[in-house]
Amino acid sequence: MLQSFVQKASSLIDPANFNIPTLSSSDNNPSKASLFRQQFRLPDSQNPLQEITADLVLPLPHSSSGSPSDSSRRAAHGGNRYTGRLHISERFICFSTQPTSFVPSATHNASTNWTGQTHGTGPSGNGFTLPLSCIRRVERLHSASHVFSLALTTWNGLLIKSQELSPAPQRLILQLVGSRQTCERFCDCLKKGLREAMKEVESLRLVVSDCYSEYLLSNSKSKLVEGTDSDARQPPDAGLGMIFRYPGDARKLRDRSKMRLWGEYFRENGRNTTLVRQPTFHKLIRVGLPNRLRGEIWELTAGSLFLRLGSPKLYQETLAKFEGQESLAIDEIEKDLNRSLPEYPGYQSEEGIGRLRRVLTAYSWTNAEIGYCQAMNIVVAALLIYTSEAQAFFLLSVLCDRLVPGYYSTTMYGTLLDQKVFESLVEKTMPVLWDHLVKSDVQLSVVSLPWFLSLYINSMPLVFAFRVLDVFFLEGPKVLFQVGLAILRINGEELLDIQDDGSFISILKSYFARLDESAHPRSENPKLRAITRFQELMVVAFKEFSGITHNTITEQREKHKDAVLENIENFAKRTSIRNLGPESKRLSVDDLGTIYDRFYETLYQWQQHQRSLEGERILQAKKKSERLSALAHPADNQVGRVGLGPSPTHMDYDAFREFLAATAKWAVADSPPPSKKESEASYNSFRGNGRSLLWANRPQPADHEFLQRLYRKWATDSEEGLSLQNVVNGMARLKGSPDIMNNINYFFDLYDDSGSGLVDREGILRMSEGLLFLSRRGFEGIINVTQPLEDLNGARDREHVEQNRLSAEERFLGSVSAFIRRCFEYADPSNPGNQKAAIQNAAAEVTEKLDSFAIGDEEDEEEDLIDVGGESKPDSSSPTLETSPKPAVTRTNRQVSESANPALDPNNPLHITLPTFRMVVLADELLEQFFESFFPQSFHLSDHPHPAALAASSLSSNLTTFSNIGSARPSNLTAAGTVTVAGASGGIVPPGKGLRGVLDNIATEGIRMAAEVKKRMDEAQREMERNALGREEEDDEEEDDEDLRRDLLEGAEVVNVRGKDAANSPGAAGQAGGNEGHDGEVVSKVVEFES
Amino acid sequence: MSEAASANPPKPSSSVKLVLLGEAAVGKSSLVLRFVNDDFQENKEPTIGAAFLTQKCSLPTRTIKFEIWDTAGQERFASLAPMYYRNAQAALVVYDVTKPSSLTKAKHWVAELQRQASPGIVIALVGNKLDLTNDGGDVSEASTAPEADSGSTGAEGDAGAGEEGEEQDATPGDARKVSRREASSYAQEEGLLFFETSAKTGTNVVDVFTAIANAIPESSLKTGRGAGAGTGQTQLSGRSADDSRVNLGDRNAATAKEGCAC
Repeated sequence: MLQSFVQKASSLIDPANFNIPTLSSSDNNPSKASLFRQQFRLPDSQNPLQEITADLVLPLPHSSSGSPSDSSRRAAHGGNRYTGRLHISERFICFSTQPTSFVPSATHNASTNWTGQTHGTGPSGNGFTLPLSCIRRVERLHSASHVFSLALTTWNGLLIKSQELSPAPQRLILQLVGSRQTCERFCDCLKKGLREAMKEVESLRLVVSDCYSEYLLSNSKSKLVEGTDSDARQPPDAGLGMIFRYPGDARKLRDRSKMRLWGEYFRENGRNTTLVRQPTFHKLIRVGLPNRLRGEIWELTAGSLFLRLGSPKLYQETLAKFEGQESLAIDEIEKDLNRSLPEYPGYQSEEGIGRLRRVLTAYSWTNAEIGYCQAMNIVVAALLIYTSEAQAFFLLSVLCDRLVPGYYSTTMYGTLLDQKVFESLVEKTMPVLWDHLVKSDVQLSVVSLPWFLSLYINSMPLVFAFRVLDVFFLEGPKVLFQVGLAILRINGEELLDIQDDGSFISILKSYFARLDESAHPRSENPKLRAITRFQELMVVAFKEFSGITHNTITEQREKHKDAVLENIENFAKRTSIRNLGPESKRLSVDDLGTIYDRFYETLYQWQQHQRSLEGERILQAKKKSERLSALAHPADNQVGRVGLGPSPTHMDYDAFREFLAATAKWAVADSPPPSKKESEASYNSFRGNGRSLLWANRPQPADHEFLQRLYRKWATDSEEGLSLQNVVNGMARLKGSPDIMNNINYFFDLYDDSGSGLVDREGILRMSEGLLFLSRRGFEGIINVTQPLEDLNGARDREHVEQNRLSAEERFLGSVSAFIRRCFEYADPSNPGNQKAAIQNAAAEVTEKLDSFAIGDEEDEEEDLIDVGGESKPDSSSPTLETSPKPAVTRTNRQVSESANPALDPNNPLHITLPTFRMVVLADELLEQFFESFFPQSFHLSDHPHPAALAASSLSSNLTTFSNIGSARPSNLTAAGTVTVAGASGGIVPPGKGLRGVLDNIATEGIRMAAEVKKRMDEAQREMERNALGREEEDDEEEDDEDLRRDLLEGAEVVNVRGKDAANSPGAAGQAGGNEGHDGEVVSKVVEFES
Repeated sequence: MSEAASANPPKPSSSVKLVLLGEAAVGKSSLVLRFVNDDFQENKEPTIGAAFLTQKCSLPTRTIKFEIWDTAGQERFASLAPMYYRNAQAALVVYDVTKPSSLTKAKHWVAELQRQASPGIVIALVGNKLDLTNDGGDVSEASTAPEADSGSTGAEGDAGAGEEGEEQDATPGDARKVSRREASSYAQEEGLLFFETSAKTGTNVVDVFTAIANAIPESSLKTGRGAGAGTGQTQLSGRSADDSRVNLGDRNAATAKEGCAC
């Protein structure tokens, strides 16, 4: 059960949204590639190709800036040298120091004393993430030692014509450490990458020109040179703040000096794509970003810049592509546009609203599975104050996919999970407070959920929320947790006094409102007094809770994942089932639950399957793959299917077949000929292993016309596919009422193509094909051999007991042929002038025909048949098995053709009506039973262990027998085992399940027969003469014989294989190991019983 | 607060956790805003997760302090709901009288609450946006409005309303799509309190809360809870609370008193 919940939930929550590998991959080990992408914030298209230990040597900064942090770096003479790992991927070269390789810098003032390393993921170390396209030149340097020394020269500042006077070219020296071979391999890879990357310089230029840093540097230089502001090109879009002012007091925020510091940093360390991270970088972020650079640095640290670089025009293209289209998400977005940060002046204007609308809309198109979630409006509204629309668009994408995965999904799984994680962290770090909250029955997450969901934007005053965001984009989701914990820690004393939710909330609310006040208002020390509560919060968050790392979060998420998923699942299932409407009330809650689980499991697996196929296809067309993964969203291939809504809710025909294969035995395919047995084996192992079975191992679903009819019948819109509702309604009609008439009518309806209440000749044949198709895997004991024995004894002559003793399956074949015959007899000619045959036939004749049928049996069948019977089915040893099907087939063939001769005349179009059909069905005990119990019951829902279910149901008599068999299984099985062994010694091996194989054969033959009949229909009547027919039959017989023999042998193998639970390797079955087969049977049966 | 002054011996006070559920945009937050602040806003910030507000309601024998959890209506937030209705003693399930699908959703919520919430939870079914119907402002008329004509269903409403098909004749300007009778008979079947309200005009709003207060069994009341929360209202999203919820003056307290001191 749990398994299915998990699967189902993962299907609801698009797995593609969980790029954090621990959440997405089925095995819990994150792939190296994904960790690599995480660390360097690279698009999903990137894979680590080569890595090597290296020293990064940076030249000494030539500027004489007074940045306080510079002092620490100065210490290293001859430039800064960092040791770390150098990685290369398809399009990027990345370098990062180990977090420990760097001596934490001295503290300078209160506001920066928490700027040490935080061990987050993301680009927190020193180093760089350079797109290969921004490398202009690579030289190999000769050096004294054996080290490979490379000098990278970048395009830094050169791509855009500006007044900036030729900036000193940025040159990074990398000394590779490793064997010559490794180094050379690395260099080769780099060379190859560089060659490829040359094509992308243009998009680099495009993207870089939007970067405020370029403008900043060019502008300041030109000012220096010309002394005037002169023309200076238009500044790039740095958000709504440029028009409507940025929140907060720029002076108080010391925006100018921050800007100056950043300018210096850029000049020394490169800007935007060519930026090299040194300790100052992290510090500058921690003190808060200057307004106009905020968007760009967010973009850089979050990695969305690289996405934009990959497809610089995606945002505009998306808007253009979907212009004018409507969707549910758009309706929802529209409702919230006026309610997103309404106090910010930009959102009281059409300009701001318009930007917000476009970004949210464009994102909802590219990620239809998320669409739009309330809270996204607030987050995007906040982003847009500092970013251009395209920047916000890609930032949102990184947020949803990577930073806060699952937060905004349709089940909000990520949100709930992180609440669980947060609660457990509180419990761990503040046990006293936690106990108090538990005691006072205060649920923490009702308070903290909005913090996370809106990234504190809706909780703290904006200026402070943005400070949190600055660090968040650099260091990842752990920041949210650290800040949350710090809030509770700081307010811990007061919170220990609270009694209920209300007081809890009001304490925190007033805390947030006073973040700008002094944290130590009464302190003597003016420096201490100057520390604001917000600064205190940051210090507590990143110092006191520095132990909360990305790993902590990842581990905790992993730990709580299942429970959270299960909760959501239960809720979703509950809700969904309740919403199914009146029709569903005809099924039990358990049945509905089973349908629900199976429906979504099928959808999920089917989707996975499709996706892996898609993946293969993409791999083959590699160019395409890069394009698709540009947005780091594998589900991009779903963009075209926007109409389907956020998550797949409909099964197409193929998925429906998979669903049925898990529901009804007859919907499992016979394997491709010649080895029917193999599929049988895999079928059994499927039941044994239950749901956990891998897709590859699943039973192959059959494809039959009957399934198509069912599909069309159930679907309200067969283009769209089957919804859960459709399936439930369909099932409810079949299983919902025990009324045989209902079932007969339903079956008739399935074949009434025109809806006219008439089924023609073709339809009758198809019906019989359908009946044979449904029965070809046996009746699972529902139509029982022993029970009808009595009934039939009453109804028929006692002489024919032996006939009745045939297994139900065999007799059913006869019933179907009789069905065809009778249908044709009782059919109304479509041509009214041609009625003779039909009218002649009276009810009396039915009996007559039945007799003749029975007599025919007696004539043809050998005496051996007497041995076949009842519970001792397996006793029917080889000779009987070999021969019995033959006459059956022969018989039916002959009789059908015989009796149908006049009816088969294609010149006499005819049809049957529902009453006729009903009469024909009711005229036959077996068909009657078929429609009364087998047909509805063959759909296994929660009554999967059918013996129990049947025993509980009202179909008493035969069922009692059957459940007796069930309880007496051990002995029964022993018997089967013995038989097998005996059979093995006898040469032709009828294994434990050999009989079923035989029946399969019969059924297949029957289907073939029906086809044959159809074929003959088109032949001249003369060719149907008895003699000609006789010959054909003989031929058939010989074939049958051979088929049968082969099947039996294969059956033996299968049993053997099943014993080893290795359904897929029939080759492993050397000898017919009777005992092993027997064991296997026990296993599979028992599981079946329990499942 | 002011009601304390009106009743000389302090009445026993107890707090009641109340949760609001219902489809998006049926007016849950507006109902609360009307009840708590006697105010109405056309454009309200969407509720993220849930908003928390409190309001007192004075009954002859006791004072009830409602701790109101106003939940987000967007469909995907539904999975968060159990977090909020946990331990709730009362629930307001809101639908929109002009939108039949919202009643269906409301029924689902009722079923959910009956199965999953604390036993004995008092549930009120509330049809909001009465102002959009003909019997708009006037309650008494609304409640006694003849339903005789409900058989002759106007053709126009059929699109969405098909299911029960019981609608009032659509006269011009009447946007009603869910008949009072249909909803009230459902409420009766399920043992729910039933009201039709308008958060915009204030019709019936206080009555709903009063009725709930009266329906809470004495035994299930915890006293002395919530002393810390003190004044009127707080909202989860702290900042916005300042501008939207600050104006609770005497007026609100007065309203609450008017409505509840019955």
